[in-house]
Amino acid sequence: MQTYLKSLSEKLFNELKGNEELSIGLHSEESEFVRFNHSLVRQNTHVHQHEATFQFQNDGRTYAKTATLTLDPETDLALGRDTITEMRAVLPLIDPSPKYTPMVNNGTSEVFQKSERPPVEKVINHITDVFSKSDLAGFYCAGPLRQASLNSKGQSHYFENDSFFFDYSVYDGPRAAKGYYADSQWDEARFDKQASQAKNTLSLLAKPQIKVKPGAYRTYLAPMAVAEIAEIFNWRAVSRSQYEQGFTPLKKLFTREQLFSPHFSLIENNSLGLNSHFNTIGEISPSVLPIIENGEMKNFLINSATAKEYNLVSNNADAGMWSSEVMRSMEIRAGTLADEQILKELGTGLYLTNLHYINWSDPQAARLTGMTRFACFWVENGEIAGPIQDLRFDDSLYNIFGTELAALTKDRSRFTNTLTYQKRRLGGMMVPGALLNKMNFTL
Amino acid sequence: MQAQTKNETPSLKAENLAQFLQTEFKKYRSAADFVSFKMIREKTRDYSVRNGKAEDLTEFVDLGLMIEVMVSGHIGYGATCELTADGIKRAFERALNMTRTSASRAVYKFDKNIRPAVQGTYSTSRKVRLDKLSLTEIFDYLKKTSLGLKTNDKIISAVSDAMLIECTQNYFSSEGTEIFQEFDIIVNSMSATASDGKESQTRSLHGGRGNCIQGGAEYFQLDNALRECETISREALELLTAENCPSETCDLILAPDQMLLQIHESIGHPLELDRILGDERNFAGWSFVQPADFGHLQYGSPIMNVVFDPAGANQLASYNFDDVGNKADKKYLIKSGKLEAALGSLESQTRSKISGVANARSSSWNRAPIDRMANINLEGGDLSLDQMIAKVERGVIMYSNRSWSIDDYRRKFQFGCEYGKLIENGKVTKTLKNPNYRGVTVPFWNALSGLTTTDTIESYGSPYCGKGEPSQVIRVGHASPYALFKNIEVFGGG
Repeated sequence: MQTYLKSLSEKLFNELKGNEELSIGLHSEESEFVRFNHSLVRQNTHVHQHEATFQFQNDGRTYAKTATLTLDPETDLALGRDTITEMRAVLPLIDPSPKYTPMVNNGTSEVFQKSERPPVEKVINHITDVFSKSDLAGFYCAGPLRQASLNSKGQSHYFENDSFFFDYSVYDGPRAAKGYYADSQWDEARFDKQASQAKNTLSLLAKPQIKVKPGAYRTYLAPMAVAEIAEIFNWRAVSRSQYEQGFTPLKKLFTREQLFSPHFSLIENNSLGLNSHFNTIGEISPSVLPIIENGEMKNFLINSATAKEYNLVSNNADAGMWSSEVMRSMEIRAGTLADEQILKELGTGLYLTNLHYINWSDPQAARLTGMTRFACFWVENGEIAGPIQDLRFDDSLYNIFGTELAALTKDRSRFTNTLTYQKRRLGGMMVPGALLNKMNFTL
Repeated sequence: MQAQTKNETPSLKAENLAQFLQTEFKKYRSAADFVSFKMIREKTRDYSVRNGKAEDLTEFVDLGLMIEVMVSGHIGYGATCELTADGIKRAFERALNMTRTSASRAVYKFDKNIRPAVQGTYSTSRKVRLDKLSLTEIFDYLKKTSLGLKTNDKIISAVSDAMLIECTQNYFSSEGTEIFQEFDIIVNSMSATASDGKESQTRSLHGGRGNCIQGGAEYFQLDNALRECETISREALELLTAENCPSETCDLILAPDQMLLQIHESIGHPLELDRILGDERNFAGWSFVQPADFGHLQYGSPIMNVVFDPAGANQLASYNFDDVGNKADKKYLIKSGKLEAALGSLESQTRSKISGVANARSSSWNRAPIDRMANINLEGGDLSLDQMIAKVERGVIMYSNRSWSIDDYRRKFQFGCEYGKLIENGKVTKTLKNPNYRGVTVPFWNALSGLTTTDTIESYGSPYCGKGEPSQVIRVGHASPYALFKNIEVFGGG
């Protein structure tokens, strides 16, 4: 793919005239998707998907067109040439962009990562065997995922990661425990051990269910629950362009009217190896960028377009939907709470392993709402009393990661992005568990 | 209207590709118990203008092939954009190998009845095809409406956006099915964010991207749009000085552009049969609805009538056939408040023996079809809006969704809106900011006590309903009148 793209790009760059600039971004994947229900296969899909995004610029104007590639050299070259001709014709019809930034050569690089694994047929058989006596629902995803960014100024970055994950849950009637397996190499023993842990968690749920009334409770959020909350930062909260346009949940943090806990630090850490080392337009992301440090706001994410529009300095952030800058490799710094101390330190309260469907309920106050999900427990005097009925929370980030944050765990969990809307995604996060003095539950 | 620049690569032209795929299909049609090919070509132009200046101008031409193979009663899928003889061969072989293995471990063994033999077509009802709408015309429209939103210096962000989608689907199968469907889709959003330096408030055209239809270029009427801009801008400014929504239990009137979300989350999703069968438990979630509830559960009050209607004029998710060739017809899901039918495709109907609809849908050529909503609509009642308001001693009207959250069984929800109005003694008295409400699905719908008449029904939708592993977004339409609910917990921000 790398050679194919390079050859195609060189031919297309030769088509340019005068001050015209062209960049070509690649998303390519060969994916195996298997979804399971009742420990059997519900659907299996194999996907060959390759997309090129052509960004064409001239005279302060810019237009982008993405198209699927056939991998037939003649057809794709004709497609690329036609696209240039088309964009050359439409560019004078639009106004110059206030966010226009000329293309530059951000260098040349290549990174290849590969996770060894058995053929998908063997994986299917192993998963269905291991969980044959359980009720499992899950999703296996594997295969190479490639990203590249080349431009007519000579830039050429390529990233390929051939990886896998198995995201699943096991059930006892309505009670469920969550499991997740991803590795640098498929290790059957390790997979089986994690499967046993999920089944063991399920057995804890066999105790009678406890109905907890709405109210404020001392709460432990396991790393997967913290990860669900942390995702809200990517919902326009740490984006400078969104801040400038009035979406400002962290405004008081930025102006120091309110602070998070001094124990809380949020970092964009591109050295975790969870994403490509360059952004959509091929800029090299900083290895580490503190966003919130010891409770204080240090940086918004700023991409080149935002920097240009508001006369700021870019930190080579990437943009997601609505041109909103997003974290690609999120880290929350670890604390000091040892895993074996969690139940004791929680004392009496809620132990939440997972949360679900989180959204801002009042962005001005950084208030968010969401639900408990999967294995969540009521704990009394440091011992699990029983699973709870699902609860809705509604609370502010200034409480959760601020005044009510009692401790963060020493150990952290690493999660790779499992979303596959339209195409597979890179990225992920590394977060600890969090003990809160209280969290507000409303329904 | 000016003609859009046409510059199609010859080998990717629709007629050439259709012919090529027919030829390729003949090679494989007997290579499994059932084989189908579906080619999808979708061109999306997404243009956005902020404060009168170009924001994002992008285009995406997505073209690929989905191959279905049935082996020993199990259906598997191979998808590719490598539209060459070699590419199709590779995709077919990979699909067949995975499916052979999976067939021995399959959830259910189907017969060929889940892929009916049909022939037919569908085309969006429109006067002027979207491909006749030029970049210049749409860009000019967006600039004028963006500036129309920016009526005051306190409007710090005035965004006008149009997503224009032209989609064609060719589907043929070894059972003799031949279907061609084409869709023109418009998602038009406009929003104004007002700020006084202390706080900011956003008002939009029916909430985010809720304003979406199937239709043609005739949709873009500048005079109408500029009137909408004036209202949006005025209401955004009004919110800066408005009181917070009170926290209390009172009556609640939801406008159609919030009802779209209420219907979607608390009727549509829980009635999806694949959720009830557990397919979605690991991702989107399960459902509080049990198989035994169909025909028995009093889902809502007796005035509640909900239909699956794939023929809704210009509604976003209208079609003649679902993605496995099942003919789509209108059906009552809930009648007089009682649960009658599920949103279940032929596969789910076979597995569950529960009555369903034609709703096996996939987001594109690269995803397998699953049970989805399409147009799910609430029928009208007998009140005018004035009569409905007059019935309320104390309550809140809420407009345009801005926040949504519901549990994985679709029971406990909390939704927020952009704009509210307080009702006191049967009259609208003041504007409220940050209006929110929460409830539990079945008690909430049983608290439904009034609906405005059919002529007040408005239709909206979402281009981004998420579900599935691998994940898919699908387009859904929801039409509704204004609806009155008694004794609901409402609250404000802060």
